[in-house]
Amino acid sequence: MDAAVTTLKFESKAVIPTDPRTKLFLTVTVSTIMITGGTGGFMNFVRPCLMACPIIFLLLSRKWVAAARFAVTYAILFALELTVLPLLTGTWNFILGAAVGIYTHMLPGFIMGYYLVSTTTVSEFVAAMERMHVPEKIVIPVSVVFRFFPTVKEEYAAIRDAMKMRGITTLRSPMKMLEYRVVPLMMSIAKIGEELSAAALTRGLGAPQKRTNICKIGFGPLDIFFFLLAIPCWVGFFIC
Amino acid sequence: MIELRNINFRYAGGTDAGGLVNIDLIIPDGQVILLCGQSGCGKTTLTRLVNGLIPNYYEGELSGEVLLDGKNISRLPLYETAKYVGSVFQNPRTQFFTVDSTSELAFGCENQGLPEEEIIQRVKSTAEQFDMDNLLGKNIFSLSGGEKQKIACASVSASNPPIIVLDEPSSNLDMSATKDLRRMIQIWKQQGKTVIIAEHRLYYLKELIDRVVYLKDGKIEKDYSALDALKLSVTQQAEMGLRPFDLGAFPVTAYPVASSDSIKCENFHFAYTKQRDALDIDSLSLPQAGIIAVIGHNGAGKSTLARCLCGLEKHCKGIVKIDEKPYNRKQRLSLCYMVMQDVNHQLFTESTEEEMLISMAEPTPDKADAVLDRLDLLQFKERHPMALSGGQKQRVAIATALVSERKILVLDEPTSGLDLQHMKEVADELVTIQKMGKTSLVITHDYELIVSCCTHILHLEHGMVQEQYALDAAGLQRLQKFFIDSR
Amino acid sequence: MKVESKKLQAKDLINVGVFTAIYFVIFFAGMMLGYIPIFIPLLGLVCPILCGIPFMLYLTKVKKFGMVSLTGIILGLLNLIMGSGVLVLIFGIIFGVLGDVILRAGKYQSWKCTLLGNGVFSLWIMGYVSRMFLTRDTFFASLVSSYGQEYVDTLMSYTPGWMYPVLFVVTFIGGILGALLGKAVLKKHFEKAGIA
Repeated sequence: MDAAVTTLKFESKAVIPTDPRTKLFLTVTVSTIMITGGTGGFMNFVRPCLMACPIIFLLLSRKWVAAARFAVTYAILFALELTVLPLLTGTWNFILGAAVGIYTHMLPGFIMGYYLVSTTTVSEFVAAMERMHVPEKIVIPVSVVFRFFPTVKEEYAAIRDAMKMRGITTLRSPMKMLEYRVVPLMMSIAKIGEELSAAALTRGLGAPQKRTNICKIGFGPLDIFFFLLAIPCWVGFFIC
Repeated sequence: MIELRNINFRYAGGTDAGGLVNIDLIIPDGQVILLCGQSGCGKTTLTRLVNGLIPNYYEGELSGEVLLDGKNISRLPLYETAKYVGSVFQNPRTQFFTVDSTSELAFGCENQGLPEEEIIQRVKSTAEQFDMDNLLGKNIFSLSGGEKQKIACASVSASNPPIIVLDEPSSNLDMSATKDLRRMIQIWKQQGKTVIIAEHRLYYLKELIDRVVYLKDGKIEKDYSALDALKLSVTQQAEMGLRPFDLGAFPVTAYPVASSDSIKCENFHFAYTKQRDALDIDSLSLPQAGIIAVIGHNGAGKSTLARCLCGLEKHCKGIVKIDEKPYNRKQRLSLCYMVMQDVNHQLFTESTEEEMLISMAEPTPDKADAVLDRLDLLQFKERHPMALSGGQKQRVAIATALVSERKILVLDEPTSGLDLQHMKEVADELVTIQKMGKTSLVITHDYELIVSCCTHILHLEHGMVQEQYALDAAGLQRLQKFFIDSR
Repeated sequence: MKVESKKLQAKDLINVGVFTAIYFVIFFAGMMLGYIPIFIPLLGLVCPILCGIPFMLYLTKVKKFGMVSLTGIILGLLNLIMGSGVLVLIFGIIFGVLGDVILRAGKYQSWKCTLLGNGVFSLWIMGYVSRMFLTRDTFFASLVSSYGQEYVDTLMSYTPGWMYPVLFVVTFIGGILGALLGKAVLKKHFEKAGIA
């Protein structure tokens, strides 16, 4: 069989070829260390590096505007933290401290999560989970979850349009607002779920034998490089 | 060979609709068979028996046997049946499991655990066969309905079952997508597969079918050879509640209404970021109190026009003028009303009456009742809107628009998946609305609906008005040229 | 006709996915209110109430042991990816399984067990705040350098040690209220509409 036959075109979202497991690992690294990691000593070096990490990845995935926006936000918050924060006291200190803290701590993790989700296809996720020996009972629902996020978005947009046309966007009562949004959403999601299961079952989902997965994933030099980079961060995390 | 022996079936939870009574049917290998009949006649149920969803997914009381080459399908687990029977369903949006098209084509084979090289080989050759290399490697959410349905057919084909069952596959498709569907069935026929199609729209199937089974109230009423079925006159077909095999012979009951006043739409420009379905109209004049069919190919900008007209697109700066009074985007939110293709999205409350009352500036039950009565909905006043049938829900949505004094109604594909009788009902509703002095725009690819009630045609292509005409004798010819000749 | 298997089948696994997705979306919408630390007590109350609606519909669809555990695990995994720490995953597993055990005791039918089950399952949300209490000293010490002493002092005064059990109780009550709300919506809409 020649090479041309064995390659198939998949939806490709990735810009640099890294394994989904690497991306997952990096996301967990950045978010865990940034949110729950300590500070001081060696971590003072690790933290800025990890903060820069998401911006680099955004640049790599050609999200110029987003990268610029995050870079500017970081810069401003850092400047504030260094200059204004020590001068403030009381409530203002609290509010600014919270804002700076939340942004600098949470944002990197979120951006990594965004990068992970936006550059990985569901098939790659599934392949990665199978390689990590995650049982099928988890793989199937997780792939459905990813299949349904865009569906929820589509359905919710349609419902919001319908509400606009009906003129029921004003806040009459919070209970009603919840009801009008959640109930139709749940109705259509339940219906779509039912049709989706029927379709998936007629195509043999749930057969006892092992599934094949034609999605190719695997570690390359780039993956090893990233893993090596992450090691000192984790060392710092456990020491500090 | 598929054998149905003395089948009786009733869905769990009450109604007789869709049940089957004393069905005996033998389908030899390689036959292309059409199941037709009115909604609720049991044709979908029959397809579910063949693909095993009954009794393994949908519950109910079943007696009798469904044999596939002597094996009892009802006793096989679904993943076994899947090797012999592939299924394509009505709704293109709900039948794909993965998110990218290549994985979707491979999905069935992956579940069977076929070797990797073989799956890749099959995906490739299927894509070639159906001439859809350009659709590989795409995010399915970004595809059009027709393209999604094409993926659904191809993914069934890739797992290569000897039998293929299609349940109203053309319901949500436009003309050219239906044409693609016909070509795919043609290929299956050439490959010698057994193809079972339950369908309302018949015109695209006439050169393909070998046999036509007509169901009524769950029984097989007639079993025709294709030749005999095609001999049925349009009147005979109409009596049976069937849409025509031959569109051109369908009786035209629409008549043009001369309208002196017009609704002026100015400066309707809009572009999505992805350059899809853009709209580019400087000025457009619509006849007041007309029923205007909006036609055009996929991506012509029909839905975009509807959304802009209804004020749903913030970045569209268009202005609508009625009797010289201008309406901007925000004002149009309460001037126009769109009945969406999936009407479930726009019903919110727990009863039909409540639904009417929240639509009114000052809730007056009498007025609500009057409108409900006019649309034949009064008996459902207390019912939960979601518990109503599809057609009734649509009427509730129309009723809310009428009671909130909208001047313009936009209906998005109101007859997709409807049988002849229900289609006629929609046509009657449109005429009722027209008599109340409202203007309706109907986005549709249903020729039969257009010639049953529309007064004008607005033909869009590439976001611009291609042509616009009244549906008189000359207009009818142009319309037929679009629908029938372009096939 | 045929005996429904007690084990989770493909059909059930898909339902688990569908309802976990909608649960997560609604949870996330609720959490937007509470990502600011001072609202954390509210988070424990609001989220389980909102999530009661999908949860009650979910219970009409699957009714098999393992469903809630899987939901808990997947919610934990999603949160782990988003950087909420390993503790959320652990809590997801623990309270998912506990919720399942309680629901099974009532054969996924009993109303009392459902109330209690959703109350207990909702406690997985406590995974978010537990670090603040379990490893209190290190947690606050780590905050000082980046959030500032003032912030830490205020946060500490908002969240004294006795708040921890209180938050558990609040979240549990949120879960009970959520089940009640879910049941009401089920009766008002889903049953009448014929989808439950």
